[in-house]
Amino acid sequence: MKAWRPFLGLLLALRLATPAAAQPLPPPPPPPPGAPAEGRPPLVAELSQSRVEITTGFSGTDLLVFGATERLLGPGGDDVLVVAQSTPEPMVVRRKTRVLGFWVNGASARFREVPGFYLLTGTRPLRVMLPPEERQAKRLGLDNLPLRASGTQDPSFREALLRLKQNARLWYEDEGLMQVSGARLFRARLPLPASTDTGDYQVSVLLVRDGRVVARQELGFQVVRVGTAARIADIATTRPMVYGLLCVLLAAFAGWLGSVLFRRG
Amino acid sequence: MQVYLPIAEMSVDALLLLGIGFGIGWLSGLFGVGGAFLLTPLLILIGIPAPVAVACGANQTLGSSVSGLFAQWRRGNVDVRMGLVLLAGGFSGSALGVQIFDWMRHLGQFDLAVSVLYVFVLGSVGALMVRESVRAILRRRRQAGPVRLHPHFWMHGLPLKVRFRKSRLYISVIPPLLVGFCIGALSAVMGVGGGFMLVPAMIYLLGMPTAVVIGTSLFQVVFVSANVTMLLAMQTGSVDIVLTLLLLLGGVAGAQFGAAMGTRLRGEETRALLGLMVLGVAASLLWGLVATPESLFAIGPIPS
Repeated sequence: MKAWRPFLGLLLALRLATPAAAQPLPPPPPPPPGAPAEGRPPLVAELSQSRVEITTGFSGTDLLVFGATERLLGPGGDDVLVVAQSTPEPMVVRRKTRVLGFWVNGASARFREVPGFYLLTGTRPLRVMLPPEERQAKRLGLDNLPLRASGTQDPSFREALLRLKQNARLWYEDEGLMQVSGARLFRARLPLPASTDTGDYQVSVLLVRDGRVVARQELGFQVVRVGTAARIADIATTRPMVYGLLCVLLAAFAGWLGSVLFRRG
Repeated sequence: MQVYLPIAEMSVDALLLLGIGFGIGWLSGLFGVGGAFLLTPLLILIGIPAPVAVACGANQTLGSSVSGLFAQWRRGNVDVRMGLVLLAGGFSGSALGVQIFDWMRHLGQFDLAVSVLYVFVLGSVGALMVRESVRAILRRRRQAGPVRLHPHFWMHGLPLKVRFRKSRLYISVIPPLLVGFCIGALSAVMGVGGGFMLVPAMIYLLGMPTAVVIGTSLFQVVFVSANVTMLLAMQTGSVDIVLTLLLLLGGVAGAQFGAAMGTRLRGEETRALLGLMVLGVAASLLWGLVATPESLFAIGPIPS
């Protein structure tokens, strides 16, 4: 699985060389169509971090997926797609209805598998790169997320879910996050918001050629709470009684401290 | 300065929380109430999930009431016997309230129920306060004759009479138990200490002298909010200690300014102002329920 590791050095060298443009790289020998050169992977990719730590001061962060392709990227050449998502979780979408003049939560649809975070970016828009059947088969893009609802089957719930998640900057389908340099290096930005879920995230990097996915590489990273935030959340879930007592004592102590300061003042 | 709240699972500007704490502390120093009835809606307004806002309201009330209780205790304004009777009612009331809290969360109507309760309770308490204080101001202007200590009605015919020496009362324990029970239940669901409901109830229903009322209500509020914090931490795990401490930090400072200003206002005028503010909160919450929402849909996790 780690067979591409030796190429990482080359990749980094490329990354360093390209912005400076000091040393022109020798043009790669054009490989015969349909048969990639022996032992040379058509795609290598890596993540800037394999672990995102949520500390007390966490306010969101950016991750980078970067890599290189063997053939040239761009019009007429190959394309790269990056898909990142968190472990799906069940969610409920509720529609407000008016009852006696008040807006109350009315009908609801439960979706069993909703990724908290979903991002798709590519060197070109998805619909230009892949035909609809391929997108559907590979479940690529926000339109093809496997969102099956129990309860109401009204499609407006699915649309609302898509809209609200995109407004909250938790779901993206945006080629603006991908940058290509030197027609061979690609770099995708994954903006994780402050409200990022903890857990495992899956990142797939796909190489697209002539409307088909010809190679893919699976990467992943973890979002974990660390430090004080982690310890607080941990105690709160594993020992709720201790935590409750701690909250009571801390608040009472803060209040007592206030009264002492108050009297002196 | 952003700070990550581990239970609410979001990051909020710490200065905003300190500012809210300061404002609430200022009001609680001025009016002698915990201020959670303002705090919980404010927290919901800045995007804190309603269950966390309610739990933190209770926890913050505990902190701010403790400092008030110390001050009143030193002046001997706490009727411990009355406080214990109210507390017995309060504990059983909040045990029920926490069950209601959990049940509403599963129904998916928690936000609505909290808002409706707030509108109803704040609206009626605020209206009563304004009416009473305006009357008191008018009476003072007219220089009316001596007023009876408290009128006697059916409540004074109930059995199980107990003498409450500090409160100068000889009444049945049933009314204070009931008052404690109702306020305990409401405080668990609304995340308030209940001071703003308890004070008028003690003055008008039980007929206690005003001097003892504040201290005794603080006594009850401290223990009820401690109990509610415990119960919510154990049953729903929605108490965020980082949020609470930030609010308290601002609150301690704000209370000093509030109390200094409070000494310059007359009792009736303070009550009228507080009543108007309570009414204002009720009106804005009512508007939130009636106005057409920006998005007709809302998403949320499925409560386990």
